[in-house]
Parts: sequence; C-alpha cells; structure tokens
Amino acid sequence: MQVIIFRKGIFMGDFGGLGIFFAIALIFPVMALIPAFLLQPRQPTKEKGIPYECGVDTVGKTYVQYRIGYFLYALIFVVFDIETVFLYPWAVRFGQLGLFALLEMFVFVGILAMGLWYAWKKGALSWK
Amino acid sequence: MNFLAIGTEIAIALLMLIVLAADLLLPKDVSHRRIGVISMVGLAVILVYTFGQYHIGASPTFFGGLFFVDNYALFFKQLFIIGMLFTILFSLEYTEKLLRYRGEFYVLLLSALLGMCVMASANDFITTFVGLELMTVSFYILVGARMTSEDSSEAAVKYLIVGAASTAVMLYGMSLVYGAAGSLVFSEVCRNIHLFYAAGLAGVIMVIIGFFFKLSVIPFHMWAPDVYQGAPTPVTALLAMGSKAAGIAVFMRILYTAFPILGNFWLPLLAGFAALCMIGGNIMAIRQTDIKRMLAYSSIAQAGYMMVGMAAADLAGMKAVLFYAMLYVFANLGAFAVLTVIDTERGGTSRRDITGLAQAAPLLAAVMTISLLSMAGIPPTAGFAGKLYLFTAVVERGYLWLAFVGFVMSMISVYYYLMVAKAMYRDLTPEEAEYAAPVYVPLTVRAAVLVSVFATLGLGICPEWLASLTNAAVQTFMR
Repeated sequence: MQVIIFRKGIFMGDFGGLGIFFAIALIFPVMALIPAFLLQPRQPTKEKGIPYECGVDTVGKTYVQYRIGYFLYALIFVVFDIETVFLYPWAVRFGQLGLFALLEMFVFVGILAMGLWYAWKKGALSWK
Repeated sequence: MNFLAIGTEIAIALLMLIVLAADLLLPKDVSHRRIGVISMVGLAVILVYTFGQYHIGASPTFFGGLFFVDNYALFFKQLFIIGMLFTILFSLEYTEKLLRYRGEFYVLLLSALLGMCVMASANDFITTFVGLELMTVSFYILVGARMTSEDSSEAAVKYLIVGAASTAVMLYGMSLVYGAAGSLVFSEVCRNIHLFYAAGLAGVIMVIIGFFFKLSVIPFHMWAPDVYQGAPTPVTALLAMGSKAAGIAVFMRILYTAFPILGNFWLPLLAGFAALCMIGGNIMAIRQTDIKRMLAYSSIAQAGYMMVGMAAADLAGMKAVLFYAMLYVFANLGAFAVLTVIDTERGGTSRRDITGLAQAAPLLAAVMTISLLSMAGIPPTAGFAGKLYLFTAVVERGYLWLAFVGFVMSMISVYYYLMVAKAMYRDLTPEEAEYAAPVYVPLTVRAAVLVSVFATLGLGICPEWLASLTNAAVQTFMR
C-alpha cells in the first residue's frame, strides 16, 4: 500500500509525499498533547504557576526591556556566521577552484571585515 | 566570465566601501561634505565609463545570461547615476545640517544606486529580486534618516511594512511563475506555454501587483504620500525619480521579454491602471498644501503617463517611456533641489514656506516654475516633447481614449503646478513679508539647478539628442 502511495505519479504528483509528511507533522503533536491533556491529574500550586526561568525563582516583573546591546551583538555574530557558511564549501573544493576562487574569497572576507571594522569603530562592541 | 560587463556595479560597490572607510577615518566633528564630494567624483567617473559601454551588436552578459548589459540597461543606469550625482550635489548642505548619520547616508545612497543598476540589468526573476531588495532596504533606512522627526520614523515604518507586504506578494508570484514555466530566466519563461494555466496566470498577476505597489499605482498608492512627505527631501527626490524609474525599467523588461504571449491579458490592464493613475493622481494633488506631498501625488500621475507608453507595447512606446523617464529626472532634480534648500533654510516644504520665494531667491523660483511646467508638459520644456512621444505612440496603437484622458489630465495638472508658481510670485502681505527670510543658496545648489534647467529646456527644444540615445537603447527588443 505504502509503495503505491509514494510511487511517483500514481495517486499523487511529485509533491504528494511531501503533503503526507506535512499532514503527519501537523497531526503528531496534536496526538501527543490531547491524551496528556485528558489524562493529567490537575493539582495546581502557586509554585507550579509561576513562569519557568530555568528553575530559578523569578525576580521582579517578567516583561522587561532587553538592552539593545544584545541585538547588536547578535547582528555582529551574523557577520561571522555568513563567513563560515561560505568558507566551508569553498574550503572543501579549494584545490580544484584555484587562484581565482582564492582572490574571490579575499574580496568576500574583506567586505565582511569592513563591516566588522565599521561596527567596532561605531562602538557596537563596547558594553555601555 | 566577462567582468567588464559588471564593471559599473563593481565600481559602485567599490566606491561604497571607499566612502564607508572615509567616514570611519574622518574625525567625528569634521564636516562630512568631503565624503559627499568623494562619492560625486566617483559617480562622475562611473558615468563617463558607462558611455563607453554602449555597443552595436551582441550585448555582453554575465552569470550565464542572468545579468544582461544591453543598451537599454545602460540607458537606465546612466539615468540612475545622473539622478544620484545631482541629488548628492544639491543635498550636501542639507545632509550637513539636518542628518545625524551623515557618512552612512552617502553609503546607503550608493547601495540604493547599486540595487537600481542590478535591477536594470536583471534578466531573470531572482536577479530582479536581489536588486529590488537591495534598493528598497536601503531606502527603508534612508526614509527614516531624520532621527529627530516623528514624521520620518512613521514614514520609514510605513514604507517597511507596505514594502515587505508587496515584496511577499511579488515573490510568491515569482514562485508560481517558476512552478508553471519551470524556469526563472525571462526568455525561458516566455517560451513556456504553461503560463496559460491557472497557477501561472495567478503568478503573473501577483508579479504585476507587486510592481504596482512599488510604482505606487492607484489603488496600491496609499503609502506614497506619507512616505514622500516624511522622508528627508533628497531621499524623496530619489524615491520619485530613481526608485520609480528602476521599477519601470525592470517591469517593462519583464512584460516584454517574459510575458509577451500574455499581451492580450496585461495590455488592457495596463491601459486601465494608467488611466486610473492619471485621473486619481492629478485630482488628489490639487488639494495638497505641502509641496512634497503634492509632488508625491503628481509622481503617481507621472507613473500613469509612463504606463501609457508601456501600454502601446511597441518600440515607439518604449522610446517614449525612456525619453519621459529621463526628462522626469531632470524636472525632479530642479524641483527637489529648490525644496531641499527651502527645507534647510525654513524647516518645511509647505506652500507657506515657499511664499514670496521670487523675491528671496529669484533663481530658485524660476527653476521651480520651469521644472513644474515640464512635469505638466508645457512647451518649450522637455515635458511637452515627452508627452507628445507618449501619446503619439499610444494613439497609433488605437488607444485614442487613453491619450484623451492624458490630455485632459495634463491640463488639470497645470492648475496645481501653477498654484505653486503663484505662491512664489505673488505680492506679499506685510506680515508675510516679515516671515519671509532671505534664502541662502549654496554654489552647489546653483550648479545643480542650472544643469537641470538647461537639460529641461535643451531637451524641449532639441529632443532629437535624447531620442537618438533612446533609439540605441531599445535595439535589444528589436528581435
């Protein structure tokens, strides 16, 4: 039965398998949550009701403003992230790609370094 | 790979990095005017270089044909570079006085220019999208560049939200076109008959709607007036000429090279929306008292005129659109150079701020009037020649009613353009005369406005110069 469903072009088109996968992905968490919801014993206490903060008691209000510094750091991290993403495939094929790819990578890393220089100079890396 | 083909883009990117480095190396409290000068010199060199790229015969390509440097793209690139060059020239003073992040301002202007140039050369949907996003994301930031102004921030957020929504629509449309045609390259899409199926048609419609958003075609124009009014004046100028021309450049290429077989479907659509734009834009402009907002509505109408040429869908129509786009740049340069000075000196661009400008700065008042008359299409300005080309082209294709709407609406537009002239030239009441402070006109602005006026009048008297260039530009489409 399974074979027939998933074989291309018999019951469904190329993306039919993907559709079934998607349906299962939708149903699965629901199936897991509903029995738990029905079966669970309910004995709420104050301790259980407080927001979860890695097991530590919450201090003060839960809605606080985060420093913009966190987001700046995250953005600068993306610079290195992108660099790594492109450096890996380049490094794997480096031998075959030759001199041209080497220069190309220097240009790429140079532009990213420029961005880092900018962020550094403008004080995005100092924790004020 | 032929790197000379993307020489313009590489040069602009390089210039961008140089300007960024210059900004970092310059001490904080020093005038940033020299950074503007660096970018202008760089742009002038690039402009001269692009003249050398015009060619007869096969056009150079890059990335296996995804990036196409034909005369058509070159024409538009020159248009963007000219617009950017003179915008920087007349806004040196403004930038120095009103903006906090001055170095970044120039860098972002150049990155927007890079995006426009990529769009002009794009020969597939992904390249189009990358260029479009590079341009719009730069503009999101530029629109909000007046850090202390609430209007500016509001405009930026509005532009971001509407821009993101329209991008999503367009991108989804592109994915449907890919699903139907099996390719993203324009010529491949054109060859594929499956576009006639429902998904393909839906994709085509969504792509067209996406461009209508970007070109602020009525009824997708709601964002334009607020964004134009809130943005820093030089940025408004670039939105009106650069961003719009870039949208038209790539929209026209897509319609003629990717979807020509669907012509029967989009031609009436284009004609209808063009009429809607001309009528709505001109009528809503009448009631505006802020000049920037008025020019926003007027730019909606101008987009309508250019779409008239696109609806003609032949070489004459294309030439007319190119001609009109170029003269619109010069008219805009004049008008916005004046507005930028007014904004710097008097802190606003309402009709009250320009009252009595003829006495305070006669040159500026004259330039403003000539530029506005060119937009209205009064001879001997270039606007007349441009509209003549547009309407002749469309009448020859049988859309007599569309040309008629254009004529009537041009006449209506004269009214509100002349209202501005009247405010500048009329006699002042005593209390107004007290308010009307003298206006300092920097030398750079004088240079910029004189160039724009000479171009506007010169092209009005001898339109053949530009017409021969547009002839060369549309050669690509004569297959």
